Amino acid sequence: MKIVSFALAALMLVAGTAAVRADSPMAEVKATTENILVLLKDPNLQGESKKAERQQLVRAQMEKRFAWDQSARACLGRHWTRRTPEEKTEFTKLFSDFLKETYSDKIATYYNDLDKINYQGEKLIDDYAQVKLVLTTKAKIDHPVEYRMQKNASGDWKVYDVVIEGISLVKNYRDQFDAIIAKSSYEELIQEIKAKHPSAP
Amino acid sequence: MKKQRFEFFVGLFMALGILSLAILSIRIARNEFSHSGGYEVQAVFTNGNGIRAGSPILIAGVEVGRVKQIALKDYEAQIVLMIQPGVVLQKDAIASIKTKGLIGEKYIEITPGGGEPIAPNGVIRDTEPAMDFEAIISKFVQGNVSKPAQ
Repeated sequence: MKIVSFALAALMLVAGTAAVRADSPMAEVKATTENILVLLKDPNLQGESKKAERQQLVRAQMEKRFAWDQSARACLGRHWTRRTPEEKTEFTKLFSDFLKETYSDKIATYYNDLDKINYQGEKLIDDYAQVKLVLTTKAKIDHPVEYRMQKNASGDWKVYDVVIEGISLVKNYRDQFDAIIAKSSYEELIQEIKAKHPSAP
Repeated sequence: MKKQRFEFFVGLFMALGILSLAILSIRIARNEFSHSGGYEVQAVFTNGNGIRAGSPILIAGVEVGRVKQIALKDYEAQIVLMIQPGVVLQKDAIASIKTKGLIGEKYIEITPGGGEPIAPNGVIRDTEPAMDFEAIISKFVQGNVSKPAQ
C-alpha cells in the first residue's frame, strides 16, 4: 500500500527529460504532475489550516487523470460479471472513493521522499498505453513504475493501474478480493471496504 | 518356412516399435501433446524470468495451456500462450510469472478479469514479471547503507 502511494506521488514531480508529443499518454501524465506540483508549492495553500483545501484541489487534478471507476471494476475481476447492476453501481462508487481518498491524500507525505523522475517512454497499442518511468528517492534508490492507461470515449488518456517494482495495484486488490469472496462472501467484502473507508455511506 | 515367417513378423514388430518410439520422442520434445487444439494469445513481459516453451499456464492452480514460444522483442519477452479450447480469457485478465516454491519450475498464472473475451491471437495487455528478490534485497541493503544522515 505504501509503495503504491509512493508511486502515485510521482505525479506531483516535474521531472524527466524525454521528449513527448502533445496529447500523448506520457504528456498527459506529465501535465497532471505539473499541475499538482504547482498546487503543492503554492504559498497560499501551505499549513494545516489549508490542508483540506489543498487535498481537495489535488484530488480534483487526479480525478482528471485517473479512471478510478475503471480501476474499481478491474479490481473486482471475474466477480464483476456476477453482480447485479445495483451492486456494480454501489461497488464502483465505494471502492473508487476508497482509492481516490487513500492515494490522493498520501501524496504530500511521499512528496518529501522523492528526488526526481526519469521518464523512460511510452508504448501504445490501439487505445491502450503504458507509460514507464523510474522514481529516484533522496536516498538514491530507483523504483521502476509503469502507468497503464486507456483512452476513453472523449479521447482522454486515463490511468487505470499502477505497477511498481512489477507489482500491479489492480492485481494486488483482485487477489485480495478473490480470497475474501472465496472465504466468506461478496457482502463481507463490502463490509470490509466500508470499515476501512470511514466516510462511506 | 514357418520359422522364416515368424522371424519376419518379429522383425516387423521391432521396426514398428522403434518407429513409434522415435515419433513419440520427437512429439514429446516439441511438446505437441498439450498443444493439440486450443488457441493462441500473446503476452509481453518486461522480464521472461526463465519461462520457456512448454512451461505450464495455470488458472486457480489448474493447467489451462502451455507456453508455445518465447522471443525477444524491443528488449522485452514476447510470449505466445497456447490455451486449451473452452477456456475463455478476458481482455482485462492479468498474466503473472510465478515460481513453484522458492527455486521451483516457472509457470504463468492467469488471474481472470470481468471484461470482454480475448479473441484467438489476441493480446493479454496486463502482465506482471516474476518478483526479483535479489533486486529487492539489494535495494533494501542499499537503502540502509546510503540513507543520508538525519
